[in-house]
Amino acid sequence: MSALLEVEGLRKRFGGGRALFGAARPEVRAVDGISFTLARGETLGLVGETGSGKSTLGRLVLRLIEPSEGRVRFEGQEVTGVSAAALRAMRPRMQMVFQDPYGSLDPRMTAGAIIAEPMTAHGMARAEAARRVAELLGRVGLSPAMAARYPHEFSGGQRQRIGIARAIALDPALVVLDEPVSALDVSVQAQILNLLAEIQARSGVAFLFIAHDLGVVRHVSDRVAVMYLGRIVEMAPRDALYGAPRHPYTVSLLSAVPRPDPAKERNRPRIRPIGEIGSAAALPSGCRFHPRCPRARIVAARGGETVEAAGARLPRPCVEQDPLLAPAGEAAHLAACHFPDEA
Amino acid sequence: MVAYIARCAAQLLVALVGIVTVAFFLMRAIPGDPALYMLGDFATAEALATLRARLGLDLPVWQQYFVFLARAAQGDLGVSVVTGEPALAEIWAAVPPSAALAVAGMTVAVVAGVPLGIIAAVRQGSAVDVGVMLIALGGISFPVFWVGLVAILTFSHALGIFPALGATSEPGLLKGLHHLALPALVLGLSVAAYIARLTRSAMLEVLGQDHIRVARAMGVPERRIVWKLALRNALIPVLAVIGVTFAWSLGNAILVEAVFSRPGLGSTILKAILARDYQLVQAGVLVLAAAVVVLNTGLDLLYGAIDPRLRQR
Repeated sequence: MSALLEVEGLRKRFGGGRALFGAARPEVRAVDGISFTLARGETLGLVGETGSGKSTLGRLVLRLIEPSEGRVRFEGQEVTGVSAAALRAMRPRMQMVFQDPYGSLDPRMTAGAIIAEPMTAHGMARAEAARRVAELLGRVGLSPAMAARYPHEFSGGQRQRIGIARAIALDPALVVLDEPVSALDVSVQAQILNLLAEIQARSGVAFLFIAHDLGVVRHVSDRVAVMYLGRIVEMAPRDALYGAPRHPYTVSLLSAVPRPDPAKERNRPRIRPIGEIGSAAALPSGCRFHPRCPRARIVAARGGETVEAAGARLPRPCVEQDPLLAPAGEAAHLAACHFPDEA
Repeated sequence: MVAYIARCAAQLLVALVGIVTVAFFLMRAIPGDPALYMLGDFATAEALATLRARLGLDLPVWQQYFVFLARAAQGDLGVSVVTGEPALAEIWAAVPPSAALAVAGMTVAVVAGVPLGIIAAVRQGSAVDVGVMLIALGGISFPVFWVGLVAILTFSHALGIFPALGATSEPGLLKGLHHLALPALVLGLSVAAYIARLTRSAMLEVLGQDHIRVARAMGVPERRIVWKLALRNALIPVLAVIGVTFAWSLGNAILVEAVFSRPGLGSTILKAILARDYQLVQAGVLVLAAAVVVLNTGLDLLYGAIDPRLRQR
């Protein structure tokens, strides 16, 4: 079966060049060589810290911004490089939901007009669109009578439901969800996640689910990819990733997810990365995680060839060689670490 | 809605009383004596005293003020000391040419300013953007009387397209518009510049918002995104500024009327100030102030129509 979405070697650089008076502007490599595929009806969770490039990746996939390099194929067709008209013809099949339920709805349009917008934009008659709006409102758990209301008359969770209704209005094959629940209360988060799961079960839509929180992603994802400074550092089926993470960054992220049981929460070991996330404008040499990597320090302490870097003795490959995303453990489990089998 | 209009009317009243009060005392603060102006330098002291008594100028200023307020409340703004006509009637007669100039000027400003601002925003950073913003900077920076003189030199003197006089006594709408064109363009330019800059920044802000990104992701045509979805949101702050600039352009209109020798409120009030014609100045200020306040109240009502968030108050 061919994949719904194929992403190959995608890169996006911002800035670079020179400013007005000759000062060099740093080049930011927001997305730095990413490849993955997504099957029909699948949900890929994409997790990373702020600044890891996950939102940029989501926008590149839909070509809301132009990639610097690499290609995206959707339903067997090129997305990158095609004309604006061809891209517009593909738009109904791939949609997006944004994080901010306040900014993502036009304050001057009624909920009904907002949901109808994609349908009328792609040539559906107004009466037909209005009928669909009522149906869609019902599907996302709102009353059809709410179509006449304006966005400011809804709560955050209701607004996000409107955003979802709009995204599924044209029956897309792919929806990029850019932190769809990050701005919501925890109880509302659960409702929205359940709604998304229900929509997927009915329509077979595939989700690229972007989040900064491994806990949220766990409930909805078939596979999970972890991003760090513009790269996917680990990608695996959900249970494999949560059960046996291979990349030290994933390990530290998982140890940061709170447990509901206070006794376990207090006693479990915590593995923290050292310091803050690095800068995509000045990427470290070798493995981009090495300045923060606790595992590299443990491996170096056990012996082997080491070099001095980032104020510590680290294994030579970590400092000098950029690790590729390679099979680690099970076949579908990929990790970009020189020492994926270390605990 | 009724309560809202009642509140607006009350605000209007308070504003008008305040403005009239300021105008009253400012006029009295200017040195000069209307009686002396009317009778000339060689008038006898006796004749001056009689005239002052007849005009009520021999009373203390605070008494004059309350007499004035009491009469104004009854719609009597006094009689022009120069012409002997009721002041309000004389001001009213000057309103139509000024209103025509102001409306034409604002039309030019909106019709030119809003699209230029949009184009500059859509082409942010391009030569078009830089060009529009430079012209706008010029439009804001050059004083309107200078622009008026340059316009006369260029369009009337050198090119001969428009007449140098801003008005004509000949009948006919087309004739009148032909004379109105240059003053309206000059008056409109400075406001257009202002509106263009504001529209540009408002558009840039809206175009960066998520709901516009969503519209792009949905494949909504770019023309509709810019001219409908984004513009509707960007117009809210622009509308607010149009109300403010209208007051400002009334001040400029006085200068434009002077440059183009156009009759109107500006020239009427200017002459009245020089003649210390207190009643006429007060009536003029009252009418101008009322125009500004009424216009801004109207715009407030309009906000409700264009911004649903402001409706339920």
